[in-house]
Amino acid sequence: MKKNALLVSAIVVGLVAVTLLSRTIDARRANNAGQFAEEPLYVSAPTAKRLSLAFNGLASDWYWMRSLQYVGGKIVNYEDTHEGNLDFGNLANLNLGLLPQLLQVCTALDPQFMAPYEYGAMILPELDSEHAIALLNFGIAQNPSAWRLYHHLGYIYWQRKDYLKASEVYAVGGKLPGAPTWMAAMGARLKGEGGSRDSAREMYRHLFETTTDEAIKSMVAKQIIRLNSLDERDAVRSILIDFKTRSGRCALSWREVSEPLRAARLNLDGMTGAPIDPSGVPYELIKNGCDVGLNMNTKVPLK
Amino acid sequence: MSRSDATQHPNPKSSDQISASAVVSDPSSFGTGFGRTMAIARNAFREAVRDRVLYNLVLFVLLLIAGAIFLGELSAGQEAKIIVDLGLSAMLLFGAFIAIFVGVGLVYKEIERRTLYAILSKPIGRGQFLLGKYLGLCLTLLINVLVMGIGVSLALIYVRRGWDPLALQIWPAIFLIYFELMIITAVALLFSSFSTPALSALLTFFVFIIGHFSADLKSLATTGNSAAARLVFRTLYYLLPNLNNFSVITPAAHGTTPSSSAFALVTVYMLVYVGVLLAAATLIFSRRNFK
Repeated sequence: MKKNALLVSAIVVGLVAVTLLSRTIDARRANNAGQFAEEPLYVSAPTAKRLSLAFNGLASDWYWMRSLQYVGGKIVNYEDTHEGNLDFGNLANLNLGLLPQLLQVCTALDPQFMAPYEYGAMILPELDSEHAIALLNFGIAQNPSAWRLYHHLGYIYWQRKDYLKASEVYAVGGKLPGAPTWMAAMGARLKGEGGSRDSAREMYRHLFETTTDEAIKSMVAKQIIRLNSLDERDAVRSILIDFKTRSGRCALSWREVSEPLRAARLNLDGMTGAPIDPSGVPYELIKNGCDVGLNMNTKVPLK
Repeated sequence: MSRSDATQHPNPKSSDQISASAVVSDPSSFGTGFGRTMAIARNAFREAVRDRVLYNLVLFVLLLIAGAIFLGELSAGQEAKIIVDLGLSAMLLFGAFIAIFVGVGLVYKEIERRTLYAILSKPIGRGQFLLGKYLGLCLTLLINVLVMGIGVSLALIYVRRGWDPLALQIWPAIFLIYFELMIITAVALLFSSFSTPALSALLTFFVFIIGHFSADLKSLATTGNSAAARLVFRTLYYLLPNLNNFSVITPAAHGTTPSSSAFALVTVYMLVYVGVLLAAATLIFSRRNFK
């Protein structure tokens, strides 16, 4: 009995000692962590596929989760050091140099895995759209009947402002069996008015509706909010110009233009009468009341 | 054919030996050749259960539960795919380890404990003995695979919070995993019929690895520099088991099932290959001298 108690104590003390030692070793190693985090992958995509034997699906899942953790970790670091939320347009500041390779290995291991293509189409253009195009072209070669991949490739070309190419991609994807009718319509629209705000809104709406990834949904929703805010600011700006034309001066407060703002069906702040942006923060009068701008506390992304 | 080679030895009363003796002395189960084989198979299955081989199911279930609970947060909505990949890969890995490490001991343990002499002194051929041992381990693996398959289906239903067609669509892949394990078991049995367990396990593991590199063997067979090299690689490609034929875990995770004709062809391939391996094992085992 006494011997057992002694052995149990030895095990508990040993485990505590091992934990403490691990923490000490980790603390010493922490300085080197950044250096190794950005090292290129040792295993190329074809080699990874060969080495994974029958477990390529599982290996692909591992690379997928590693990609998510990689981007997630960078976002957390960025937000910690920049005191705020990351905008979609700031992805380039994250230094996601390893992401193209991670997604490439992930899709090489399981070419039918759609989530990495979608993720790559949304994130990679902010770093280098050539990587995104290469990833999507690989996906289309492996899954020629997947219309969603054409949707994502078209989105990348649209972001590059190559509206003609985007239109072509949507037109081809729209002819695939099972493709929704809006794919062909999108192709036609981009050809005629590729850079318009309405086509951008439609693009983001379809992306929002077709994705199952909550992170991408959130990113796209922010872009829709940005477009709505741009529309609202145009409407407010036109009201302010009207006021200046009628009174010969710019508005001193929102109260002076409350009537036309209400008529334009904008949400107004009960206290100040200021129109409220889609994130729920009042707009500000700028340039001595001649123009409208976003409040510094707004959640509406700048780009 | 081989009973003359068998030597009768005293039968010490270990638990396994008692069981073996009980099987061989049961007249009802020894009425026909098939009955004798099945008696050996039942005994091999009981022995595997007694050796706590099925305890791996506990580890498997824990793995699935952990996966089902935590993967949702880590995989950005891809938990169903990852559950299938994780579940079926674990099924193949655990099954391969059982097939290799239990398979290589099937014959060796009987020789080492000298129960083989008691069995072969009865009216049972060495081929029947090997076939019985093989079927016993296959039965163990079948139960293992079925329980794991049900576990994966239930985990899928859990992560989707309701019925998911994938819970049914993965079953052809599960059966193909089982067929692969049947080949690995036969390979392990073949090596164990003439070699030590350690060497047999190593050789079987190599066959498992090479069996999944068959696409590379085929490629080498067409791109090799010399005609002799091409011939060697072509021979290896056709002679070694092409385990890629059974690898449909990744398509299964996307709900893709093999066509019935493809499934039937692979089933026939497995049956023929297992037949060849068991015949070779019997040939070698019947020539062994246990004196």
